[in-house]
Amino acid sequence: MSPLTYIFGWPILMALVLMAVPRENRAVFRWGAILATLGSLVLALFVFVKFAPANDPTSINHGYAFVQTADWIPSLGISFHVGVDGVSVLLVLMAAIVSFAAACCAGGIKAREKEFAILLLLMTGGILGAFMALDIFLMYFLHELALIPTFIMIGVWGRGENREFAAYKTTLYLSLGALLALVGLIMIYLHYETFNLPEIIHRAQSEPMTTGQQGLVFALLMFGLGILVGLWPFHTWAPLAYGAAPTSTAMMHAGVIKKFGLFMLIRVALPILPDGAQQWLPVLAWLCLGNLLYCGLVAMRQRDLNQLLGNASVAHMGFVFLGIASMTLIGLTGAVMVMVAHGLLAALAFALSGHLHHQARTLDMDKLGGLLTVMPFWGTLLLMALLAGCGLPGFANFAGEITVFFGAWKTLPLITGIAAWAALVIGAVYMLRAARKLLHGPRADDAPHTEDIPGWHKLPFIILLGALLLFGFAPKLLTEKIETARESLEHVVELYNRK
Amino acid sequence: MTDSELKLTLAMVVLFLPLLAAVSIGLGARRWRGLSAGLSLGASAIAFVCSLILFIKFHGAPSGIVPATDAAFNGIQWLHLGDFKVDFAALIDPLSLLMLLIVTTVGTLVQVFSLAYMKTDAGYSRYFAGLSLFLFSMLGIVLASNLLLLFIFWELVGVSSYLLISHWFEKPAAADAGKKAFITNRIGDFGFLIGILFVWQLHGTLDIIALADMGAVTTTAGLLIFCGAMGKSAQFPLHVWLPDAMEGPTPVSALIHAATMVAAGVYMLCKLFFLFTADALVIISWVGGITALLAALMAIQQNDIKRILAYSTLSQLGYMVMAVGCAGPAASLFHLTTHAAFKALLFLGAGAVIYSCHHEQDIWKLGGLRKKLPLTYRAFVIGALALAGFPLMSGFFSKDAILAQAFVANQPLFYLGVVVALLTSFYMMRCVLVAFHGDARSEAAKEAHETPGEMIGPLLILSALSIGLGWHYFGLSNFLIKVSGAVIPNEITHSAKLTAMIAGTAASLTGLFLGWMAYRGVKQDPLPAMLGALARGMRDKFYFDELYAGLNQWTQERLSHYAAWFDRWIIGGLAVRGTSGAVDLTGCLLRLVQSGNLQTYALLLALGLLVMLTFFLF
Repeated sequence: MSPLTYIFGWPILMALVLMAVPRENRAVFRWGAILATLGSLVLALFVFVKFAPANDPTSINHGYAFVQTADWIPSLGISFHVGVDGVSVLLVLMAAIVSFAAACCAGGIKAREKEFAILLLLMTGGILGAFMALDIFLMYFLHELALIPTFIMIGVWGRGENREFAAYKTTLYLSLGALLALVGLIMIYLHYETFNLPEIIHRAQSEPMTTGQQGLVFALLMFGLGILVGLWPFHTWAPLAYGAAPTSTAMMHAGVIKKFGLFMLIRVALPILPDGAQQWLPVLAWLCLGNLLYCGLVAMRQRDLNQLLGNASVAHMGFVFLGIASMTLIGLTGAVMVMVAHGLLAALAFALSGHLHHQARTLDMDKLGGLLTVMPFWGTLLLMALLAGCGLPGFANFAGEITVFFGAWKTLPLITGIAAWAALVIGAVYMLRAARKLLHGPRADDAPHTEDIPGWHKLPFIILLGALLLFGFAPKLLTEKIETARESLEHVVELYNRK
Repeated sequence: MTDSELKLTLAMVVLFLPLLAAVSIGLGARRWRGLSAGLSLGASAIAFVCSLILFIKFHGAPSGIVPATDAAFNGIQWLHLGDFKVDFAALIDPLSLLMLLIVTTVGTLVQVFSLAYMKTDAGYSRYFAGLSLFLFSMLGIVLASNLLLLFIFWELVGVSSYLLISHWFEKPAAADAGKKAFITNRIGDFGFLIGILFVWQLHGTLDIIALADMGAVTTTAGLLIFCGAMGKSAQFPLHVWLPDAMEGPTPVSALIHAATMVAAGVYMLCKLFFLFTADALVIISWVGGITALLAALMAIQQNDIKRILAYSTLSQLGYMVMAVGCAGPAASLFHLTTHAAFKALLFLGAGAVIYSCHHEQDIWKLGGLRKKLPLTYRAFVIGALALAGFPLMSGFFSKDAILAQAFVANQPLFYLGVVVALLTSFYMMRCVLVAFHGDARSEAAKEAHETPGEMIGPLLILSALSIGLGWHYFGLSNFLIKVSGAVIPNEITHSAKLTAMIAGTAASLTGLFLGWMAYRGVKQDPLPAMLGALARGMRDKFYFDELYAGLNQWTQERLSHYAAWFDRWIIGGLAVRGTSGAVDLTGCLLRLVQSGNLQTYALLLALGLLVMLTFFLF
């Protein structure tokens, strides 16, 4: 069996095992989740290091590594089919890192630990699997497996008075998004009568869908998946959800699960529907400014740290949309780099805000201040996360964003210019405003008592920050993997630009 | 070891030692104050020695890039994607060698000074880590061989400046100043980045050596690149952050906001001189000239000793930018070098005053320090005379070089330059007379006592440099003309030199004389009575801060306000609640599944999984 199957099967297996454990054994759930995600992380690192894609243009597995196939529901053309290429191998690694960190940060959950651990593991297994699935049905199914626990976790373990409304609204939005995408995917299935992704991509050139069909399906996918990612103007669920979600859930969703929509757009929509892309990507290019500029402006007004981070996280998705809409090799590469970088950063930021909430019971930035003195480790990390968020060189985000700019400049100069303003100036305004209010300044007399992150609890934070710095100093680690998928990306760009 | 290897090894030592120091302080050495300071100072001192060796050995060598294929750099590609190539390589030419020497010299002296100045500070280790990080970033700018690499270090310098300005972050003014500096710089960097994108589009490369062969880019692109320099070198209209940056510790002001970082913009303009068209240069020279004049006017009515120096820095940077715009990078770099010495001297002198007067910075509350701090006084006067362009001091020669350049290239700017020279010597005379002469006007000034050796030492060294750097015997001017010789289109005639020298000397002496007449023995400033509204305008910095605050309030903040409102009530409210019929329906449906029992949810999920496994297995 391919190690990939273990990477996502192992957390799901652990979830099933934990179901049988009596709920009194609280430590078992906590450590079970940490152990399972650690196993996935180690395997994901192994896959990352050993990654060597098949180089045989005639084979259907060309460009993929660690492929495993088995029949599942042959009558419907559904199979168990996993494998990674240069793009997904990065996302799998990022997802495994974030999952481990999220499991470590679940210590704040003090009720129904059993269910929380089970849901978190299902979420982890689902999303890891979704990134490596090469069967559209399996891909969609595993993503749903990861998505549904989100709603439950917000509703049950969420914080604040708003949590039920947040869970409700998030469920509505995301279910609608997933539904629209599903309709689009079924239309693809009806045309090709299989869910086998490499096969469909292979056949897309010789038996394309009509231009009209492609336009419709692309719109369904772009908006459906766009809702999942928080494409403007379908983004308002995101800050609400992240404000109410428990720490680990916000880390997993903002960091990893949200990337799935983007991944599917690159992996499924672009290569199969080049004519649809031609019709809709110019629209996406303008909508991405809604994310970058508008959500950035909204973030400037926030007083609550999580609302700010939520809006910032939605704003940052604009870079990925811009990279996709640019339809250049450099832009697409940059988009993938931003996906990885943002996943790590969003997880780090929500982990930090989770710690603060756990300590202070509030995230209102006007009520807190001078925290750098009281919590030096936490404060330093938050400062670094905020600086990474406004695109400081040295962090992976900068490498991704600058690559997107260089990619998009040739095809979309005006939009790139506005995006650069949003990135360099607006991003700096809201990030530094948070630093100024929370970390700097004198401490209020009635400020709640807060303590720094103790001992080994620092580990997940260090791992996330370390990964951000590593990929920031050596973005080549990312690009050399993406380079192996160059052919398929170039193919997509060529299809888009023909005529 | 071949010459090329030696060059590269030394350059890498210079660049990475400060980073190493910063990282090791951050990772643990910060617990021991002495160790932190030692690491940082040691790194800087070794970097200085290496820079000196490099300079002595290679300053005559032809300029050239050290390719990534060279020994130590084999295979360091930062990013390679199609024609978007960023290699991590060093461009070591005589220009960067000189700049390395300036940065490491001032850096080392400032750190020695800081040993005493920051002695009682709680954030001692953090302070030295910040200085080391700054040195790394600044040296990176100096050595960068590629526009994007330059941009990367440009940003890193911005962030280290942010960290150091807001070193005393509990103080709201310091925290605000750091933020303002960073964001104002980011506005300049926005232009810089777009400029880089333009250059890449036009020439298809970011490599500085390759670009040099291709010549100028369009005026627009050149001016966008210049935006970066406007931010870092605080040129009008982005000058507002520099005076506020004085909230940082005084040695930081000496190193970053006087001698090195703010000079980075000028250095970049000189290094990329070939990119600018004649039209772009005209605009650049006027921006510099306006900055020089405005800042000199503002300096006249400041009362905080550091702010006087800050405005004078602005004004002198304007001078340098003006010189570049008048097609004289050599004159500009000459002034950059002498300015680094005498302005660092002035700031450290001011630091010594502030240290010995219990952090009193208002010159009207000082006075009489001439007797209490004799060494500091002498050093400060030397710095002031050099800045005022007093004959035979270093500033005299470099200022004359700029004036001569302006005389040939742009006569109106020449006259403007002469006026600025006069204003400069006037306000420096004011500063010296009020702060050091007369009687002590506060308890703090009465109790002042001479500062310890760690602080006096750097002052003495910088004094010597401030006097001697400009002398012909030192050969700096000729070296610079040779180094940037290829890019001087205007031959400076003998008569231009003579005119500049006479006008410069006359302006300097007149300004000193007027200052002496106006401020000798006064207890309060006579100017406001004489000038009225103009003096108020100068004192209040011509209301630029208020103007920008209003502008920002009316545009970006207002947009942000509308966006947040729209988000909350239109998209978030109406669009969601307006479709409440559909929502309610869905809600009813969902309620059927929503039993509220977690076990049920978990069971449902598990069942789904089992179904899947069943299909898979059988």
